Amino acid sequence: MRFDRMSMRTWLGIGSLILAFLIPLILGINTYLLTVLIIMLVFIIYSSAWNLLVLSGQASLGHAAFFGIGGYVSAILARSLGLPPLATLLVGGLFAAVIGVLIGLTCIRMRAWFLAMVTFGFAVIIRTITAELSWLTGGWDGIPAKRLIPVTIPNYIVYEYYMMLLIAVAVIVVIYLIVKSKMGLALEAIRENELEAKVMGINVTKYKLMAFAISAFFAGIAGALEIHHFGYITPEVYGMDISFWPIIYCISGGLFTMEGPILGTVIITFLDAGLKSLGFTYERLILIGLILILEVIFLPRGFVSLPKRIKSTVSSRHIPR
Amino acid sequence: MMDIGLFIQILVWGLYAGCIYILLAIGLNLIFGVMKVVNFAHGELLMLGAYTAFWIYTYSHINPYLVVPLAMLLIALLGVVIERLGFRPIMGTGKLNEIFLSLGLIYLFQNLVAFLWSTNTRSIHSPYSDVSVPLGSVKLPLDYLVIIAITSVFLIAFQLFMKRTTLGRAMRATSQNREAAALMGINVERMDMLSFALGSALAAAAGGLWLISGQLVDPYMGAISAIKAFAIIIIGGFGSIPGAIIAGLTLGIAENVVPLLMQSFANLLGFSMSFTAWKDTIAFFVLIIVLVLRPTGIFGEKGE
Repeated sequence: MRFDRMSMRTWLGIGSLILAFLIPLILGINTYLLTVLIIMLVFIIYSSAWNLLVLSGQASLGHAAFFGIGGYVSAILARSLGLPPLATLLVGGLFAAVIGVLIGLTCIRMRAWFLAMVTFGFAVIIRTITAELSWLTGGWDGIPAKRLIPVTIPNYIVYEYYMMLLIAVAVIVVIYLIVKSKMGLALEAIRENELEAKVMGINVTKYKLMAFAISAFFAGIAGALEIHHFGYITPEVYGMDISFWPIIYCISGGLFTMEGPILGTVIITFLDAGLKSLGFTYERLILIGLILILEVIFLPRGFVSLPKRIKSTVSSRHIPR
Repeated sequence: MMDIGLFIQILVWGLYAGCIYILLAIGLNLIFGVMKVVNFAHGELLMLGAYTAFWIYTYSHINPYLVVPLAMLLIALLGVVIERLGFRPIMGTGKLNEIFLSLGLIYLFQNLVAFLWSTNTRSIHSPYSDVSVPLGSVKLPLDYLVIIAITSVFLIAFQLFMKRTTLGRAMRATSQNREAAALMGINVERMDMLSFALGSALAAAAGGLWLISGQLVDPYMGAISAIKAFAIIIIGGFGSIPGAIIAGLTLGIAENVVPLLMQSFANLLGFSMSFTAWKDTIAFFVLIIVLVLRPTGIFGEKGE
């Protein structure tokens, strides 16, 4: 029996979405599990945002800058103006997008390595600025942030889960539409060969900047969602970890694909949470580093390419040598 | 007006910090030159070098300066392993893969060290740490001066090796034109291995000297220093050892002088502010400014 590849993908997507909606019903209200899933959803948004930028061949090592800016702006606005987090996180995302354009302006002409270094540098600089503006940001101690759903509501974690799920689905649909649009094609053309893309009449500067802005916007939203879930924010949000996680998720899942960041985030999150609950601390990070290295060498298209890879190894056995 | 004694002290501190950066940058530069690979995990080799030196010193208590060559040897071997198992299989598959592989190495080494030896900061007490050399009104720590001297010796030896020996010439030929070098009978893969070994050894030397000077060592110390080394290469120019030396010393001194100057300036305007938090960001500001003016870097087209 043969499945059409496209329809199988669609069915898998719908199936996992239904599963995601049913999880609280099946497993009951398990606060620990739901917290893991909420963070997973945040990182699905964040990884998909990072993936959109790398689609244009620009690998940022400092996406925590946007994640943190979104978080701080949203937290400060929600606190000082008394607005609901759902409104302020959009402002946080927009602010991150503006900073994204500014950083993008310095980066778009650079080669891969330089861009990686410079984006990393911007994360360090923005972290220092944030920590130094202590009258606004509370310095290294950070500031409390409004919860997305007030803790006083019974079973707030379930509401939060569904809200995150809806936002994540919406973001993924938007990113999917962008990738399938003319812009997505333009970004891929730029990644494959910038000069040829230019010759074909693609406005390289415009599309690269747009990729920066959109990617920063969604990263900022993810950051705001995370801090409104945790209820506090410190400059640690700009840490190297936060910059590196989306890269690990995207590579393990599969770069340049829609499902890669999602699959990678799900697999690595469960692996991570599972090992953590077994009491492993550094071992799990060592393992994740090893997975990253091995995948770059042996499975450069990530987990999503695994079925195809297995199929081709199995079928190649029938070919007489 | 700034105290002149204080100024000299800061200058020597900057020279010493610059020496550490130079050792790191020259290794990175060598690997980049020969293999056209940027090892973002180069700072982790510094960290591992420092830890190796720490453990050898803690268990043997021999003179700390004798520990450094041992650490260099061990980390050079590790460098060969990284090159053979990590970078060689992915050579030519794209620049992004090299960045991602380095990230994996960073994760692996940082957490391996944290797992084995905890995240506590470590430091040693050098037997000479109480000795200082008087220079006019200021006293300069002997260890800093020795480190500056040792770095100079390393740099001269390295320069002589690259310019005068057959191996050094072969490595330079490989970095100029890999195909032509291979056609001339140079085993370019061996040059890759050698460049990684040498670069790693220099990083380990930087780590060992860092430890001797009484600085703290922890599993996460490598990341920022690697990027400073990268900034030095970009400022000083690709493949240029004198360029790296000038850029390294400038960065080391600027990091220590600029916050102080800014503080004096703020005082002059009537603010009382401390700019020490900005120390680590200076390298990035320089990096960004240089790259905005020259987006391909001073590496130029050679880089690709």
